[in-house]
Amino acid sequence: MTQYNKPLPEITLLNEPFWEGTKAHKLLLQRCDDCPTYRFTPKDVCQDCASVNATWTPVSGAGTVYSYSVVHRGPGPAFQEDAPYIVVMVDLAEGPRILSHMTGCEPDDMQIGMPVTVVFEDVTPEITLYKFRPA
Amino acid sequence: MSDLRQAAIVGVYMTEQGGLQDRTTGSLYAEAVNGALEDAGLKAHDIDGIIGAGPEGAGIVGDFTDAFGPPLRFHAQTGVGASSSSAGMGIAAMAIAHGYADVVIVPTASGGAVHPNAPRRGGGPGGNPFEYIWGTTRASDYALAARRHMHDYGTTSEHLAEVAVAARKHATLNPASVMGARGEITIEDVVNSRVIADPLHLFDCCLVNNGGGAIVMTSLERARDLRKTPVVMLGWGQGFTFYDPMSAPTLTSFGGVMAANTAFGEAGVRREDIDVAGISDHFSIDVIIELEDAGFCAKGEGGPFVEGGALQIGGRLPTNTDGGYLSGSHGAACGLYTVTELVRQLRGEAADHQVPNVELAYAHGTGGAFQGQYSAIFARG
Repeated sequence: MTQYNKPLPEITLLNEPFWEGTKAHKLLLQRCDDCPTYRFTPKDVCQDCASVNATWTPVSGAGTVYSYSVVHRGPGPAFQEDAPYIVVMVDLAEGPRILSHMTGCEPDDMQIGMPVTVVFEDVTPEITLYKFRPA
Repeated sequence: MSDLRQAAIVGVYMTEQGGLQDRTTGSLYAEAVNGALEDAGLKAHDIDGIIGAGPEGAGIVGDFTDAFGPPLRFHAQTGVGASSSSAGMGIAAMAIAHGYADVVIVPTASGGAVHPNAPRRGGGPGGNPFEYIWGTTRASDYALAARRHMHDYGTTSEHLAEVAVAARKHATLNPASVMGARGEITIEDVVNSRVIADPLHLFDCCLVNNGGGAIVMTSLERARDLRKTPVVMLGWGQGFTFYDPMSAPTLTSFGGVMAANTAFGEAGVRREDIDVAGISDHFSIDVIIELEDAGFCAKGEGGPFVEGGALQIGGRLPTNTDGGYLSGSHGAACGLYTVTELVRQLRGEAADHQVPNVELAYAHGTGGAFQGQYSAIFARG
């Protein structure tokens, strides 16, 4: 694997279980212990019922495209090498919205509402990123 | 709720705007404060309150008092990004009305080197690891909103371009604007400019430049004895509906609904009575969404609303008559420039970009990627 030269996520007490999940090629989200709501990005409190209790739970990785942008001007040289790349906002089947990249899809084939599924990319020995491809 | 009207804007000033690599932030800041005081006919020792951030890296109150001398008994700021200073004017008005300050300065400045990796337009990465790992930019943040707006409502690139064309037209009438000397642009120029973050083109994106400005406020009573026609805030409101973009209920409507409803409700005026508007145009889509959210048209009708030069002087709702952030200036807390222009419109000082017979002006500021919003309605005091 060539060396990954883009910014890696800052691992925090709050988000560490999420990144342990991706390393195992699983998408884990916090699910509220007191109502059916999932959280993303990781949060200390439920947006629906304000509960502070949650359990990291595997989700399907299936979703639909809420919106997307084909980025031609990246923030710095490492991203610019990959441009144009597709930033996508996905509505997961379980509810939360998640920002990511599309892979395996040409910009012209992108459509809002198209079904997608998660894929995992081991970018360093420690970090695995999550992306989406057409389902 | 009429407290706001007991305070008035009595002085405005803008420094030169542009690259300004050779100007320190402090020098722009000092020039702006002195300029606004001169406009008002006040002195530095009259100031006892301040809104907003000082020069970057400096303690705001400490830096100001060291530079200008007066002890300050009031300081506040809001979280509306580039509009934080101007949004704070509502708090300043309440402070003045309730005796917590007599004269409040609202300054902003940015000078010197621009970050070497900063794209000329479009902004840099944000601080959330679940965003920056994907190479998002401010342009791509707004592009996601634009793409969804197009999908839901049939908004087109040509609609977005109308916003940029009007801004440039106004910039050509304003010698202080950054882009005015480049001349007018057409809808075709905008849609044929290179793509930054699809569907946003280069001319859909604001400038990245330096500059400074300041506004002085005092009581309307004291304002009667000062140099210029006082301008008062008839209504003011804020709206914050999300922080994490992944938690935003939609990317096509935001806290501007709440902000505008509060401001219009307080002012007791109708949307159709507004003569001139200043609406954050970090990106062209912002103006279309905020026109809808503020109720100037129904949700989804912002595209058709701006068609045919509606935002240009002489059109249905002249907007960003100084050139806006797209072609005027986008330096420091530039929401301040929006209000400065509206004050000049109400005073009849806008020269070649003056809208005839201005009685009511509407300001709207967006911070971040739609997170923070404020609205204000201005009239002569």
